[in-house]
Amino acid sequence: MNHLILLVVLPLLSAFIIPVVAKHSLTISRLIGPVVLVFILALVVLSWNSVGSNGFAIFLGGFLPPVGIVFYIDHFSLMLSGLIAGMLLIVWPWNSYVAPRQYSLYMLLTAASFGLVLSADLFNLYVFYELLAVATYGLIARQKNPAAAVAALRYLFVSATGSAMLLLGIAIIYTLTGTLNIAHLATMTDQLHGLAGLSAFALIVIGAGVKAEMFLLNTWVPEVYSTIETPLAALLAGLISKLATVLIIRVLLMLFQQSEVLQMLLVVGVFGVISGEMVAWRAKDMLRMLSFSSIAQLGMIFIAFSIAGEVGLWIGLAMMLHHLLVKGGLFLLADKMQGSFDNLRGYAKRSAMAVAIFIIFILSLLGIPPFPGFWIKLMLILNLAEQNNTLYHYAIGFILLATVIEAAYLFKLVRYLFQDEEAATIVSTPKSLTFWYAQIFALVLLVSLAFISPISNRLKDMASQVANPDIYINTILPSHLSGGNP
Amino acid sequence: MLINISIEGLLYFGAISLSLIGLFGLLVSNNVFRMLLALVMFEAGANLILVLSGFRENGIAPIFLADYSGAIMNDPVPQALVLTAIVIGVGIQALALALILRVKKHYKSLDMRVIRSKLEHEIATQANVEPPGSHHAPKQIVRAGEHQ
Repeated sequence: MNHLILLVVLPLLSAFIIPVVAKHSLTISRLIGPVVLVFILALVVLSWNSVGSNGFAIFLGGFLPPVGIVFYIDHFSLMLSGLIAGMLLIVWPWNSYVAPRQYSLYMLLTAASFGLVLSADLFNLYVFYELLAVATYGLIARQKNPAAAVAALRYLFVSATGSAMLLLGIAIIYTLTGTLNIAHLATMTDQLHGLAGLSAFALIVIGAGVKAEMFLLNTWVPEVYSTIETPLAALLAGLISKLATVLIIRVLLMLFQQSEVLQMLLVVGVFGVISGEMVAWRAKDMLRMLSFSSIAQLGMIFIAFSIAGEVGLWIGLAMMLHHLLVKGGLFLLADKMQGSFDNLRGYAKRSAMAVAIFIIFILSLLGIPPFPGFWIKLMLILNLAEQNNTLYHYAIGFILLATVIEAAYLFKLVRYLFQDEEAATIVSTPKSLTFWYAQIFALVLLVSLAFISPISNRLKDMASQVANPDIYINTILPSHLSGGNP
Repeated sequence: MLINISIEGLLYFGAISLSLIGLFGLLVSNNVFRMLLALVMFEAGANLILVLSGFRENGIAPIFLADYSGAIMNDPVPQALVLTAIVIGVGIQALALALILRVKKHYKSLDMRVIRSKLEHEIATQANVEPPGSHHAPKQIVRAGEHQ
């Protein structure tokens, strides 16, 4: 099973090989990326069954933890790896005029994403997180319009500050415990439960929250998403934000299962939902509206994760998948439907298919039955109501309020789409690759309707596996080292 | 001794102050280059705190020699970690400088307020919607930048 290390190694290797190969043959350099991604996708699918319910660990270089570096693989991380490979294949720049360097950046992004999902060591997580950040800065700054350079620079300032805070949090944890192996840390959580431990967690949440579009750390979101090409925006909003959330969740589940921490996440999530929806309501163009509503959706995911135990985890997982599908699809659709709402007047006449898909997506986003979004929101609200804390009950009110605001601006947009007046500027009818992908996303959403209960059972299994620190500890530290410095 | 300050406490105080100065600079300065310098300070502070976590008072360099007497050693792990963090930091600073050059070439300004208002303007024109704020506000901000 150790071959799963290829998930990180191959993309990293190809990232450095691509510019060299491009000097000899441009065609081959163009093929390397997709070939690697397809290979990895096959690898993930083939090893799905051989990963047991306990997950397994790869000890790099044969050094056993807590000294060596560990990768931890379970169904959850395998599913995320599959999603990463699939999503990158979808947004892969197939156009012929792309410079080979951009392929390198995409492969770096891939390697960093896999590393982020698989690594079981806090410092390694930091390194992969930085690698991911650098690759995204490069991809944003490489866009043709100069505004993208400003957006990348402002994003860099916010993100680099966040990363330094992440490092600070890791330093505090190391000072307190003397180890950075997550499984090893999980055996001595009592040392982390003081004020210093909590501040370390807060710093880690702030650091990862920048990419997870958390409230107050998301000033970069509208600028970046409206200056970059839409497939890349689909990747950032759909996938990268989820990976940062995964980082927070791993640390939360393994090290900080405390009610104060969960309530902190809840409050941050509620603020994200409300602020995101309010600003999205005021937005006058498609891309901004999508980016602000993405902030709100991420807030909703944080609310889900703030419910203690497996329940919160599986609702959060379902939400992550749903948001990946819907927001990814919407951004891909926006490749042709972008511009101000005025430009989109009467769009339904030009492309009925695009508008139909758009409506399917937003109905699911709002949570209208029978779409998957409805079941997820229903489960979230039911479980929030079961909590013995008024704070959670207030959150229900805020979620419903946010849904009303969301409905207001989305239906306003739908009205524009069906207005008969001729548009001020002619938008070409969508026949691009991205439109086909958007159609596939919508199809997956509709098909998943028929499999709601098997999917949710699978997610429940996955959640119970992830939420149990004992499995994690026993897999990585079979001898179960008790606390103390190594 | 009236005040009993350990050398470790003093070092921590210095590192934490350095990162706080950096954070403060990031929040208040408007010049892009100064923001970058503040970021460098903040990262340096974070790196110092990390390397301090392995500091032992009177500790010796962590090298096992034949005549090792059992003296306290400094923890080498944070030193290895901080080396990685420094390298990453330098890379990001270089990237930021390159981006600043590109921004300066296109916008002819280093003031974040000016750059940001021009950016908002550009995004709005691209999307074919009215620029944010009132009809007069963006012009005034741009004019303020030209005086510099």
